[in-house]
Amino acid sequence: MKFSQALKMAFMSLKSNRMRSFLTMLGIIIGVLAVTMLISTVQGATSEVTEQIQSLGSNLLIVNVMSPKETYYTVEDLEALESRDSIAGVAPVVSRSASLKAGANTTTASVEGVTAKYGRIRNLSLSAGRFLCDIDVTARSANAVIGSETAETLFGTGDCIGNTLYIEGRAFTVVGLLTETKNSMIGSSDNVVIIPITTAQRLMQSKEIPMIYISAETADSVEEAQVAVDRFFLRELGDEDYFTILSQAAVLSLLDEVMGTMTILLGSIAGISLLVGGIGIMNIMLVSVSERTREIGIRKAIGAQRADILTQFLIEAVVLSLTGGLIGLALGALGLSLISTAFDLTARLTVSTAALALGFSAVVGIVFGSYPANKAARLRPIDALRYE
Amino acid sequence: MIEMLGIRKTYWMGDNPVHALNGVSLTVGDHEFVAIVGPSGSGKSTLMNIIGCLDTADEGVYRLDGQDISDYSERDLGVVRSRKIGFIFQQFNLLMKLTAYENVELPLIYQGLPAGDRKGRVTEALERVGLGDRMDHRPNQLSGGQQQRVATARALVTRPSLILADEPTGNLDSQSGTEIMALLESLYLEGNGLLLITHDRDIAARAGRRLHIVDGVIESDSGEGERV
Ligand SMILES: Nc1ncnc2c1ncn2[C@@H]1O[C@H](COP(=O)(O)OP(=O)(O)OP(=O)(O)O)[C@@H](O)[C@H]1O
Ligand SMILES: [Mg+2]
Repeated sequence: MKFSQALKMAFMSLKSNRMRSFLTMLGIIIGVLAVTMLISTVQGATSEVTEQIQSLGSNLLIVNVMSPKETYYTVEDLEALESRDSIAGVAPVVSRSASLKAGANTTTASVEGVTAKYGRIRNLSLSAGRFLCDIDVTARSANAVIGSETAETLFGTGDCIGNTLYIEGRAFTVVGLLTETKNSMIGSSDNVVIIPITTAQRLMQSKEIPMIYISAETADSVEEAQVAVDRFFLRELGDEDYFTILSQAAVLSLLDEVMGTMTILLGSIAGISLLVGGIGIMNIMLVSVSERTREIGIRKAIGAQRADILTQFLIEAVVLSLTGGLIGLALGALGLSLISTAFDLTARLTVSTAALALGFSAVVGIVFGSYPANKAARLRPIDALRYE
Repeated sequence: MIEMLGIRKTYWMGDNPVHALNGVSLTVGDHEFVAIVGPSGSGKSTLMNIIGCLDTADEGVYRLDGQDISDYSERDLGVVRSRKIGFIFQQFNLLMKLTAYENVELPLIYQGLPAGDRKGRVTEALERVGLGDRMDHRPNQLSGGQQQRVATARALVTRPSLILADEPTGNLDSQSGTEIMALLESLYLEGNGLLLITHDRDIAARAGRRLHIVDGVIESDSGEGERV
């Protein structure tokens, strides 16, 4: 018997039992829906975070210091690192959350004390005004560059350059406005006030520099730079445990690992619902086989071979699971577009996720359909014909 | 050509054996019209099912057209059924969800005939049984006699060498019964082998040979003389 013919027969028999076919498919529909939504959301989030990390620049090293003692190095010590061939720039950062006030408006934002190089090293771009310059740092000026969100809360949508804002009671002049960064997942960088590091150290009454951004000369010299940085901080702090150096590559591979684990975990949880759907198919196929025992007997009496009966029931099972898979996929795509607009995510259904979901539902159909189909095919024609 | 030697079939009802066939030996030529008669429960259907490869004997040798099929597996028997045998049952045994046309088409589909070749054959078979205008009817839209004619068309559409009919007129009024018998006899006259089980003396009288079965053995065989 030809395959197309078997397919036609399977569709006919499923159509004659519409409601039951639909209920049987429901398990698969929900399973595929869950798999596609979960995997696509995780993938969407991963690619977004990856993009943000990449936008930091591939040459970046981030040093976090967690020393129990007062640190010895100064901004000047750190800048000496720049003389290394492999290192292009060093940007120490001190930061703290602080209350802000401008006119009648108040808010809380992260106050970051930086040097003039910080803007270039972090790839910051301005939508108005200028960034801090060396003179701001040496003169401990009271100039500030602010994030777009902070600007809006404090000054509304109008121009804010030249306005005054108060950081814990001290007046600062706004000299620059940062370009809005799109919904950042690694901490909002829009609610921020950037001031000279020297001014910040005085404001915070601390000489500590807990975080340093370092950019390597080229992507190839990142490793060499890392060795130099490691040596410097080991000498300064005396213990490997007092600092960590993160490179973009390390962060990305960590992220990859975490998100990979998450995809597998969520995928398999959702996969279980597919298995449950498969058991539903097996159950209904078994019912169907015993209901149609006489039909099977008649078919065999008029010339159906074992393989014909086997393919007929197997195809029915696969058609059930694949149709369920397709419906689930369609609903999943719909759900994802809703989620994307609602939560401003970029979770799209990729071809590989769709193929995975459909492939898996086909496999579920074959695996759970083969026992009932085989049972039907093995019926002895005479027993099947006598069955009432 | 059917050759049977010492065919036995025993059913067990608990510990009690029911000897449905108790040593049947039989030879039927390629072109014979044989009526199988006998009391109810004597083993007629059991014999026909074995001849038609729906069932297998417990003991004995069965050769069909020279091939020993006593030891054939269910798979091989399926091929023999599809190629050589056309079955007609007392209860019609049509598939209720399919139209008359689709019911008759089914054996050809299982033979692997391409769709283009099937149409002519199915139409021809249905016209042959006088149902050219009922092709799209489902069995529940047909009378008993019409249903049995669809079943007859289904049996003859593959042009089998042997037609087996187990009480084909048993569920029909006498008018429909006569029509079905006329059809079957015309098939015999065209060269088919025809074996039928009947309780009707008139029908049995028309056959060229009568096998009388009692308690699982052939008690008398009017065609005994023709055996080689
Ligand atoms: N599946 C079975 N299980 C147990 N006993 C069976 C089975 N099939 C047939 N028999 C027994 O075998 C014997 C022969 O049955 P069979 O159907 O061949 O009779 P029959 O001659 O066709 O009768 P009828 O004229 O009533 O159709 C009967 O005694 C019946 O009870
Ligand atoms: Mg009988």
